[in-house]
Amino acid sequence: MDALKQFFMTAPVDPAVFAQSLWLIIALPLLGAFVCGVFGKMLGRANVYLVACAAVAGSFILSVLAFWAVSHVEGGSPVAMESAFSAGRIRYAIGYDYGTWFSAGDFRVNFGLMVDHLSGTLLLVITGVGFLIHLYSTSYMEHDEGYWRYFAYLNLFVAAMLTLVLGDNLVLLFVGWEGVGMASYLLIGFWYTDNAKAWAGRKAFVTNRVGDFAFLIASFLLVMMVAAFAGQANQANFSQGGNQGERYRAGLVEKGPLSFQALENLATALPVSTDKAPGVAVTLESTIEKGPLAGFTFGGVLTVALLLFLLGAAGKSAQIPLYIWLPDAMAGPTPVSALIHAATMVTAGVYLFSRMSYLLVLSPTAMVTIAVIGTATSLLAALIAFAQDDIKKVLAYSTVSQLGIMFMGVGMGVFWAAVLHLVTHAFFKACLFLGAGSVMHGNADETDIKKLGGLRTEMRWTWATFLVATLAITGIVPLSGFFSKDAIYHGIHHSHLAGYEWAAGAVYYVGLVIAASTAFYMSRLYLLTFEGKRSPEAKIAHAHESAWPMTMPLVVLAVLSVVALVYALPLMPGRNGMQPVMENFLGPVFSNAERIAARGGLVELDRSVPKLGDYIFAWLVAVSGGVVAAFLYLKFFPSKAGQPAPAWARGVRRFAQNKFYVDEVYEFLIIRPVKTVSIVLFKLLDTLIIDTVLVRGTAWVTARVGSALRYVQTGDAQAYAAVMALALLGGAVYALIQVLQ
Amino acid sequence: MVPISYYLILAAALFCLGMFGVLIRRNALVVFMCVELMLNAANLTFLAFAKQNGDFTGHVSAFFVIAVAAAEASIGLAIVIAVFRSRGSINIEDMRTMKY
Amino acid sequence: MSFFDNHLLNIVIYLPLVFAALLWMLPSGERGQIRTVTFIGMLVDVVFGLWAYLKFDPAGSEFQLEYRARWLQELGVSYHIGADGLAISLVALTVFLGPLVVMASQTYITERVKEFHIALLVLQTVMLGALLSLDVLLFYIFWEAMLIPMYLLVGVWGSEDRQMAAVKFFLYTLVGSLLMLVALVTLYFITGEPGSRSFDYADIYNSLMVANRELSACMAGPAGACDNLTGLARTLMTWGPWMFGAFALAFAIKVPMWPVHTWLPDAHVQAPVAGSMILAGVMLKMGTYGFWRYAIPFFPVAAREARPFLAALAVIGIVYGALMCLAQRDIKKLIAYSSVSHLGYVMLGLVAFTGEGATGSAYQMLNHGVSTGALFLLFGFLYERRHTRLMSDYGGIARVVPLFTATFVIVTFSSIAVPGTNGFVGEFLILLGTFKSGLSLWLAALATTGVVLGAAYMLWMVQKVFYGGLTHRENQGLKDLSVREFATALPFLVLVPVMGLMPQPFLDRIEPSTERFIARATLGAPGADVPESAVRVTAMALPSADVAAAPNAEPSSGSLAARR
Repeated sequence: MDALKQFFMTAPVDPAVFAQSLWLIIALPLLGAFVCGVFGKMLGRANVYLVACAAVAGSFILSVLAFWAVSHVEGGSPVAMESAFSAGRIRYAIGYDYGTWFSAGDFRVNFGLMVDHLSGTLLLVITGVGFLIHLYSTSYMEHDEGYWRYFAYLNLFVAAMLTLVLGDNLVLLFVGWEGVGMASYLLIGFWYTDNAKAWAGRKAFVTNRVGDFAFLIASFLLVMMVAAFAGQANQANFSQGGNQGERYRAGLVEKGPLSFQALENLATALPVSTDKAPGVAVTLESTIEKGPLAGFTFGGVLTVALLLFLLGAAGKSAQIPLYIWLPDAMAGPTPVSALIHAATMVTAGVYLFSRMSYLLVLSPTAMVTIAVIGTATSLLAALIAFAQDDIKKVLAYSTVSQLGIMFMGVGMGVFWAAVLHLVTHAFFKACLFLGAGSVMHGNADETDIKKLGGLRTEMRWTWATFLVATLAITGIVPLSGFFSKDAIYHGIHHSHLAGYEWAAGAVYYVGLVIAASTAFYMSRLYLLTFEGKRSPEAKIAHAHESAWPMTMPLVVLAVLSVVALVYALPLMPGRNGMQPVMENFLGPVFSNAERIAARGGLVELDRSVPKLGDYIFAWLVAVSGGVVAAFLYLKFFPSKAGQPAPAWARGVRRFAQNKFYVDEVYEFLIIRPVKTVSIVLFKLLDTLIIDTVLVRGTAWVTARVGSALRYVQTGDAQAYAAVMALALLGGAVYALIQVLQ
Repeated sequence: MVPISYYLILAAALFCLGMFGVLIRRNALVVFMCVELMLNAANLTFLAFAKQNGDFTGHVSAFFVIAVAAAEASIGLAIVIAVFRSRGSINIEDMRTMKY
Repeated sequence: MSFFDNHLLNIVIYLPLVFAALLWMLPSGERGQIRTVTFIGMLVDVVFGLWAYLKFDPAGSEFQLEYRARWLQELGVSYHIGADGLAISLVALTVFLGPLVVMASQTYITERVKEFHIALLVLQTVMLGALLSLDVLLFYIFWEAMLIPMYLLVGVWGSEDRQMAAVKFFLYTLVGSLLMLVALVTLYFITGEPGSRSFDYADIYNSLMVANRELSACMAGPAGACDNLTGLARTLMTWGPWMFGAFALAFAIKVPMWPVHTWLPDAHVQAPVAGSMILAGVMLKMGTYGFWRYAIPFFPVAAREARPFLAALAVIGIVYGALMCLAQRDIKKLIAYSSVSHLGYVMLGLVAFTGEGATGSAYQMLNHGVSTGALFLLFGFLYERRHTRLMSDYGGIARVVPLFTATFVIVTFSSIAVPGTNGFVGEFLILLGTFKSGLSLWLAALATTGVVLGAAYMLWMVQKVFYGGLTHRENQGLKDLSVREFATALPFLVLVPVMGLMPQPFLDRIEPSTERFIARATLGAPGADVPESAVRVTAMALPSADVAAAPNAEPSSGSLAARR
């Protein structure tokens, strides 16, 4: 056992050396994208597959090495990186700064990459699941002419996503953030000849842009806040985090204000009020003295910034009010839905908030908003999922719902569980989507679950893996989904946000409803697709099982959805007894958040471990939903076949099927008015008032005056002479008067 | 010695005669002669002031004017003849094609 | 001191003119020869322009590569050129676009080929001259001279409604410039004593600077402290806002800022591809460059008072331009209105008066030249094939012209400022600068909505033109980019990521100019504490008579200058 431990704690490559090669993780898929995109047609199908898969596989190997390097322990002390902002070292992290990206005025951004346990975990998920999906795609896209484009986009996406998690500052994160949006736009609209699909891509991009707009403003607010803080804070402030003011300011010059380290040090040096930390010059309650934010309090600005980040995250992670793009994004190829719109990109919001956990715990208002938004989104999406018949749409809404659960966790301060759920969700949701893709592939692209059925015997592998993943997402013991979801629920139930004590209970009980709903619609999906008899409306009489490149990833992902449960088991020794593996593992990342929470009294984070009774209760909730679905779809509805449903039931169904008309409301409230205003402005203000009345009007008046004055030109020389004489006379008389006076 | 004001009044009278001639006569030749009259009125004032000041600046100016008048007369008469040839009339009121 | 040390900028400016003269001697039937000669001329100019760009030392003095000679010195004029960081960057952009414009017009222009290329070369010379002049009158001459070749480009080689557009463009911009001329001559008279009056930039700026310092010092004092100002400071207090207004109007029309933008869509729509590229790529920047170099440094007090107004107009321009795009059916008009929106960003960054904003603004000038220049170029290729500008006449052509589509989409991403492309760096810095500037936060937030609208209209256009099913049978036979066309677009495709990922070399050259610009602009703040050394313009003195190149040089004792 010790030998094994020793093995895992000794990185094969010296972490300090490896840190310099971190860029390769991004560069490989980027190169793959370039090669596939530019030379893809020349290379031919097999070579493109090879290049694309090899790039991601290489990235995966490097990610493993990186992950290994961050767990490296030498002589009892773990690997650590220098911090530019404080004398302390950041444990369990490696990073490297490749120099300036751009700097102007006081602002600077560096190409700094960093891996710690959080980004390391995500690296593995992105490249690991990414590789499986690349492999799957080689079979899924075997008949598509645009294969080279597809793989170029897919590699581009992986590169952008890796930038997102590797960046050590907000701007670099934003590069990945928008980059994945761009890749997602290209992939959703991959079959661009279908107008609806191209339209869905555009909808996704523009909706995401709304979030990015908020993200940008939030970043600017942080820049200004950091500047104000650096100007006002005194040494007592910095001593809160064991830091030196000089060092911090030097760090700002060296790495810029949006570096995560700058924000982390700011968070540790910002106490809640002076009675908790005597002598400090700046607290959350003190006002900013100079600059454009003068008059606002630090805490206020921070809350506003975090709420704006929430809007940004809502765009990327499909939360209310910006979730509407995700269901439409299913227009893309199914592996894309699995990779981008389930496993990786949409979890960027969760990553963002986990990354900035230390800021989040300073603002209970922002936290409770995140939790409430997450709960509302999750519930809404689960309800919509009840009535969807498209297999991918159900999965899409289920993704929205699961992301909502992660947001609940982040909002209530259970960061590690949210990240764990992110990981397990990546496994089972990718498995579900790929399973759905396999179903479509084997059934002539049929997506309506009413027209499938009975696939259990025809697609053995797909059926088995889909079942495992369904059980995982439903939360059945002993699959990973059960543990990760339960870890979030348990944490939610026991956390406290100052001023929002009601939140813990409210979010928790709504969460139970969501869990039951999830079980219901997932069971429905599973039952209608795989159980029962094959629907008479099916496109082809018999489905065929997919080839090994498609089933193999399914199996791997299904196994992972089971195995990942290990991370939720309390196996590691922690400060308060045994800790779940993941909590222990992410401990260094969230240690500052926990320290701040313990110090401040704004947020109480729960560290307890669920009891057996909790587990049983959660299990019962999940099973109840599944049982209801089983009863309805196996017994109730088949027995009622042929009888019309009551009017109210049809009304409710239509309402849910049309997604509660949210799209229509947006169309009516935002898109139409903007379009109308722009057309009215163009016709009325631009064309009529400015161009016709003012510009052409000036020309017209000039021309009219000119043609009126033309008639003065009589052509009579004597008349001209008379005018001249009169003018001279007038001038003479005037001069005479002047002289005489 | 005749006071200078007499010369000036005479010159002014001549100038006004010339000016009104230019403004109201129809015959181009008469208009032309009226212009000469105006020029000579100016000459008269030049010479009067020259006499008063006792230098030759005025004479110089007068000679200039005479030279200009000669040149103008030659060109002007040429134009009048050309107009007469093309239109058969030297009535000024007929010559107003350059309008609007 | 080699020949090139003295004359490098002269070569850059006049080389196109020399080639124009060469072209003039060629028979007009030799189209291929004419095109080749022009192309070579532009290419050689690129070499010299880039040489100058690389030779520019960011750590050196403000104006570098100066050249000054006697010329009309009775009027206080001299031939004085030199480059600062912004000017040399814009020069690099101008020479970069030169050969590409020639390549883009190769098949587009089939009539009056010789005249067209002469106009292009002359335009190149006057644009470069306007950027590099350090004598205000010389600047004005080049500035006005720009109108003539551009007028011809639009009016002779434009599309159906070209005459109207050309006249509109000419008169519109002339109105502003004439007002500027009035202000300029006034400046000449008020900044110098009789006998020592000068049109030189340094002289005018330095005398204004002293007066502006007095003015801003007294404005910080008690009420009425400014009443006993005398001399130039007094004049500036009374007339400064008016003169600033005259300058600002001239430059605002050129930018173009809302609401004096309406010449732009017409001119762009009617102009041939070369005209659109130069217009969007370089000529619009003349307006922002004018604000940067002349209007704001000369009248910092008035500029500071007008700042909220200008910022509001800029933000209106951003949002309004974007909304206009959503209402267009004509692709070229859409791109033209997107220029209004983008130039709104540039102006906003400029009037933010912060290091980030001004640097971003200068960088965005370059970016806009690259991305919008490329958009016009690419659309020009399409127009050549189909001779229609309406979006509804295309639709689903991505299937027919994949390479063209890929190129266009990359440029589109650059135009909507996706991070990693050039547009992002500029837009990010501008918005950050605006937030930091102390202008209203709401105004800055409103400006940020341009990010959303930009994506909305550009992607809308891309979708309508390229995606979906093929809607018109005529488009079935569209040819994809030829080698020549792709080679024209390639430099843009390379610059998009390069300027996005490695902006620092470009920013380094802009940075010193930014610092001086900010210092000069802050001079207008009441009680501004700016050391004189940070703002004073030091430039080459007029060379003594025996060195001067002017043949009519004469000892100044006998000239008119002494008697005035």
